[in-house]
Amino acid sequence: MKPRTTTNRILLALAGLLLLGGGLLVLTAGLDLYRRWSLGPPSGWPLTGPHDVLLGAGDRERWSSQGWWWWPAVIAALAVVALLALGWLLAQLRRPRPGRLPVWGTSPAGEPEEGVEVRDGALGDAIAAEAAGLPGVVQAGARMSGRAARPEARVDLALGTGASPRETLRALADGPLERARRSAGWRRLPADVRLRVARHGPRRAE
Amino acid sequence: MTHRQDPLRKQDPPREQETARPPAALDTAPADPLPAGTGPAGGEPVGGEPAGTGPTGTGGAGGRDGGAAGVAPSPRLWSPRRVPAALVALVVLVAAGAALYDVVAVRAGRPASAWRRTLADELATRTTGDVWMLTGAAVAAAFGLWLLVLALTPGLRRLLPLHAPTGDSPVRAVLDRHGAEVLLRDAALRVPGVGRARVRVRRRIKARADVRFRDPRQVREEVAGALREERDRLALVRPERVSVRVRRAR
Repeated sequence: MKPRTTTNRILLALAGLLLLGGGLLVLTAGLDLYRRWSLGPPSGWPLTGPHDVLLGAGDRERWSSQGWWWWPAVIAALAVVALLALGWLLAQLRRPRPGRLPVWGTSPAGEPEEGVEVRDGALGDAIAAEAAGLPGVVQAGARMSGRAARPEARVDLALGTGASPRETLRALADGPLERARRSAGWRRLPADVRLRVARHGPRRAE
Repeated sequence: MTHRQDPLRKQDPPREQETARPPAALDTAPADPLPAGTGPAGGEPVGGEPAGTGPTGTGGAGGRDGGAAGVAPSPRLWSPRRVPAALVALVVLVAAGAALYDVVAVRAGRPASAWRRTLADELATRTTGDVWMLTGAAVAAAFGLWLLVLALTPGLRRLLPLHAPTGDSPVRAVLDRHGAEVLLRDAALRVPGVGRARVRVRRRIKARADVRFRDPRQVREEVAGALREERDRLALVRPERVSVRVRRAR
């Protein structure tokens, strides 16, 4: 899993737990389940029966009469929450791209060539153009992902009729991907490949 | 030590030999001749120069050199859950922004806005037994459960993981479920006597075929065989079982 996936999933789980917990809290109190199932809610439990309200008079009184620091603290907390939500939202709209990728030379020292870089888009286009020429491939697209230090390729292929996914994958790994890796001098270039089949009518042997 | 190094060196470069090919479910012709012959732009053959495997080629994390060693099952893809995350973020942003605006406005000496007063009054007067409160709580709980399911399940159920080439540059590959269905349908239609065929890939590969001529039982056997063969050609990580139903078409 990529790190951003993990962030999304942790935050979604957190939001889900909050909603589920709050909803169940109100439901159990509202349906009077504590009394019906003769369960004793812990002392200090906020909602215990169908005649409680979420925002009691005591709560309102207490929140309005805090010290001078209360409202500045509320404002700061709300601002932080809003900013984090904004950042999270923007992160969904953006697809991170590695940008310029270092090209490794053939020198035995094993260092990136000074001043030689390849644009991620250019390398992706090269992979796509070569992949489109593989047998059985009707349409191909490719782009680079990951970070510049650890680039990865993402390839989308549409297969024609009669194509074999396994042979296409082998040809892709040994052909375009291997050539891209070698031309950039990288040690490894992992790839994510998504195959689909181009729409075509039924072909039958009559 | 020198004795041990030599055979290792000899084994590494000739990758075309495919010594390490595992027997797992690979029965149709391997694709070995493809890479050398298919370079559309006339690229160099892959195994041609063993020196060109990169500056740090042998200090491998995987330990094994070369991309054409074998195949391994691709892991299940996990959806990034971008859309639900964006929606939740938007809701939180709007709620926090509105609350922030109103709190600041009140601090600045203006009256609290109507929505805030209404909300506070409703929350202060409606008891938990109120039908609106119960409905709202049920909706919130259901929504929370759905978010939890989204967070914990991989998603992307229409992408089927495939066996893909491994090595230093591993390939993770998936095939669109609909694409698999189309390829399998084509395989079924190649059986003589089959007029129409419909294939669905679910927990198992279910095919329905209309038989125009020949003995339906024999056609059924052949369709099942063709589907199994095509299924193995697809190199699915989870090769589902094939079940075929035939119907005599008039």
